[in-house]
Amino acid sequence: MALVPPPLKKDDDIDDDSEYSPFYGIEKSAVLQEARCFNDRELDPRRCAQVITKLLYLINQGETFTKNEATDVFFATTKLFQSKDIGLRRMVYLMIKEISPSSDEVIIVTSSLMKDMNSKTDLYRANAIRVLCRITDGGLLGQIERYLKQAVVDKNPVVSSAALVSGIHLLQSNPEIVKRWSNEVQEAVQSKAPLVQFHGLALLHQIRQNDRLALSKLVSGLTRGSVRSPLAQCLLIRYTSQVIAESGPNTMTGDRPFYDFLEICLRNKTDMVMFEAARAITELSGVTSRELTPAITVLQLFLSSSKPVLRFAAVRTLNKVAMTQPLAVTSCNIDMESLISDQNRSIATLAITTLLKTGNEGSVDRLMKQITGFMPDIADEFKIVVVEAIRSLCLKFPQKYRILMNFLSNILREEGGFDYKKAIVDSILILIREIPDAKESGLSHLCEFIEDCEFTYLSTQILHLLGNEGPKTADPSKYIRYVYNRVILENATVRASAVSALAKFGVVVEGLRPRILVLLRRCLYDNDDEVRDRATLYLSVLTDEPSSIKENALFQGLDVPLENLEASLQVYEPSEMPFDLEAVPRDVKAHQQMEKKAPTRSEKKAAKDASQKAAADGGASKSFEAYEKLLNSIPQFSGFGKLFKSSAPVELTEAETEYAVNLIKHVYPGHIVFQFNCTNTISEQLLENVSVVMDPLEGEDFNQVTTKPLASMPCGVPGQAFVAFEKPEGACSLGKFSNTLRFYVKEVDPSTGDADEDGYEDEYQLEDSEVTAADYILKAGVSNFRNAWESLDSELERVDEYSLGVRENLQDDVQAVTTILGMQTCEGTDLVPSNARSHTCLLAGRFLGDIQVLVRLSVGIDSQKQVAMKLAVRSEDPAVSDIIHEIINS
Amino acid sequence: MILCVLFTNRTGNVLLERFHGLPAEERLHWRSFLVKLTTENLKTARDDEVFVASHKSVFIVYTVIGDICIFAVGKEVYDELALMEVLNAVTASVKEVCRKDPSERLFLEKYGKVCLCLDEIISQGALEHTDKDRIRRLTRLKPLAE
Repeated sequence: MALVPPPLKKDDDIDDDSEYSPFYGIEKSAVLQEARCFNDRELDPRRCAQVITKLLYLINQGETFTKNEATDVFFATTKLFQSKDIGLRRMVYLMIKEISPSSDEVIIVTSSLMKDMNSKTDLYRANAIRVLCRITDGGLLGQIERYLKQAVVDKNPVVSSAALVSGIHLLQSNPEIVKRWSNEVQEAVQSKAPLVQFHGLALLHQIRQNDRLALSKLVSGLTRGSVRSPLAQCLLIRYTSQVIAESGPNTMTGDRPFYDFLEICLRNKTDMVMFEAARAITELSGVTSRELTPAITVLQLFLSSSKPVLRFAAVRTLNKVAMTQPLAVTSCNIDMESLISDQNRSIATLAITTLLKTGNEGSVDRLMKQITGFMPDIADEFKIVVVEAIRSLCLKFPQKYRILMNFLSNILREEGGFDYKKAIVDSILILIREIPDAKESGLSHLCEFIEDCEFTYLSTQILHLLGNEGPKTADPSKYIRYVYNRVILENATVRASAVSALAKFGVVVEGLRPRILVLLRRCLYDNDDEVRDRATLYLSVLTDEPSSIKENALFQGLDVPLENLEASLQVYEPSEMPFDLEAVPRDVKAHQQMEKKAPTRSEKKAAKDASQKAAADGGASKSFEAYEKLLNSIPQFSGFGKLFKSSAPVELTEAETEYAVNLIKHVYPGHIVFQFNCTNTISEQLLENVSVVMDPLEGEDFNQVTTKPLASMPCGVPGQAFVAFEKPEGACSLGKFSNTLRFYVKEVDPSTGDADEDGYEDEYQLEDSEVTAADYILKAGVSNFRNAWESLDSELERVDEYSLGVRENLQDDVQAVTTILGMQTCEGTDLVPSNARSHTCLLAGRFLGDIQVLVRLSVGIDSQKQVAMKLAVRSEDPAVSDIIHEIINS
Repeated sequence: MILCVLFTNRTGNVLLERFHGLPAEERLHWRSFLVKLTTENLKTARDDEVFVASHKSVFIVYTVIGDICIFAVGKEVYDELALMEVLNAVTASVKEVCRKDPSERLFLEKYGKVCLCLDEIISQGALEHTDKDRIRRLTRLKPLAE
């Protein structure tokens, strides 16, 4: 978006036009002086109105009055009640509201306003009500309540509306008083005046909003047809959906209460009511396609409306529907495609992002062509939305990565601000991580980008990635030029990153090492300390005898969580004793909790956004590496071989109990290590020698081989205890265990924090834990399911059919089977279109021993809601296919 | 809640603004946001052309008549369609007060009248009246025509 100058207040604007402004050169002091005319014996209404206008102008421009100035103006204004000029009286009402007198001053004007409130002139009454309710406090309100109640049912709609709207505001400050008007307000809702209905209904709803029964009665009374004002009908639809959401379907007939009302509203003659009803239907929980269809038809009609607001509202609602039920929206695709060229950018952007969600694989190319033409016309904010939608699309159709990646790299070369560029780079990074085939082309695009990148943050991020991924590619040498160019051309921060990236190539690719050394030596003469220091350090590491410890420390990071390292360094006091890295706790619980929180937050934001799913998966792979390092650092587990899988944490205690314990299962080919993350929440206790006693309840294959208790567990500091079991090598052994936390308790004096010397033994029962088949299957998606499926021998395919009995819908079954198998769903097939009669879900994973396994899960439902499932499994090892069927059978 | 009604000239200078339920320190931010969001669209806008946008949970509708751009911002009940009622009422009243395509000068000359219209249309963030004839009579304290 082009930069625009900040909006100026009119006074700051000193161009030639300003002399035309009647307020040009206006000064507060001069206006206050002029306001003295309010005290004249012979009032000049015209002049007084002009002065009030000037005062209003000053207030609106943000000018503030001192307490004295405000009081003077207020008192002077009240004098104007003496004038009989009605135009001036109207201005006085407004002025008093604007100046909002303090509570001790209000009394001056109360009697005048009370007089007006009882006036025979309707409009004096209406205005006096509005002013009094605005400036009054609870005490005075009690005195005028009688009049307000009468006003609510006044036959003049203006008076009635004034009282009702004032009631809506007063309800916040004086709810008891306003709640007593319930009967009058109910009468107002039946008024013939449309706006009185609207205001009355809004107030009645607010009065009853905490009483579900009363609300339900209100809705069922009004849905029979007495409300005619479109605005009030929209409110009624909103309140109806609230009641529907709270009541659930009718248990006798299975029908949704009030759905008929919503459907009738779809045929209303006012656009606003039709739209409100359509939106309410799309937001019903568990909406069926039969219910949804008429609403979608209405929204589709609005897509080609001549009114931009209707087009926007329709496409915005369809966009939301597309997040959960993309198939329901596909019928609108043609109408939405024509909106891509809409003059209103917000509409065009929404249309594009909706199409990206609903489009099928075949339409991607056509869509991308249209988007390419559209991108230069829109602002960065909208471009970011489009980039995020494209990222999701690419994750949904990985085969289309070429065209989508090319699109991203093209827009990366164009002008744009930091946030926009960051969104593109983040998208490319995610695609590189998620789609292995896209890695090399993604890296090349990023290399091109850093040649001309003005953002240090992005350059360093990309250089870091190049250092990690570049050496693993087929031809690492081609990246060296791009990295070294940064050393020559960039600022110190980027140069330092480039030096680190170069060094990583030197470590991993032996053939390149001599040349890397030459380049690093050149960096020794850099004029920045950090760059020189890094070059010196890396040179020394690369030229010395190979030492895996040093290299690990430098290039693979530290095997301790950074939060823990930071905490330990803060408590370390400089002394003879060097800082001991080994003493830093390896516990990852605190770190993990943060990671656990992150997805929930993102879920709230956009529950099913695939990109966030990808980000969350990225978090999982990070924690797997952290677990692997943690376990490798424990000598008892060093002979177990390569870690295959770490499960997600399972809570073994209720929330907010004395001790919080969760369990992570680490699966090795012949062993399982149970990691118990324990936290003590009692500040008066110090726990020592904490261990978990595991008794096998089921599963004879397991033999306990070793345990690692936790030496000390003060309050709030998480720690871990481990138990390791042996099982037959490569076997899918299942089992169930009871768990007891055993420890030695010492009382702690809360004032000093010192623990007693003596203590006692105690134990705490935890929930049981299980080893299931899903623990032996790793989620591992494939970029092209069909290719992967056909590459596996069809002779080894195992097919079986299952009857699942009567079910409500297919989604739950697909979800359940996917969870039991612990496999990755591919190509977005985890979502079953609502009311679909059949569905095929594609699952991929790797079984213990790194054996690929693919599943085609087909489910169908008949008219009696009987669900049948067909499971076709292909694997490199037919025994694994059999195991999958055994899991389902059990 | 109708959060804001804002009048600017075509170059983005604020002529009149009414905020409801927004703390004073956020108002500057809103002003610049609205102007930034809409500059591109308004450059080529025809008289009475309506634009619409949403940002987080807030809706914005805006239009231009003569030299004057009018914005209405709302949330919750006041979504794009309800705001349209507000905008229609404001636009019709401004046209009534300042004629069809008001110049900036004319708008400022009728400043007091426009303030009165706004006072009738919006009461502390809630829509009170929408009919331009009624609003005109109310601003003059003339009884409603039967």
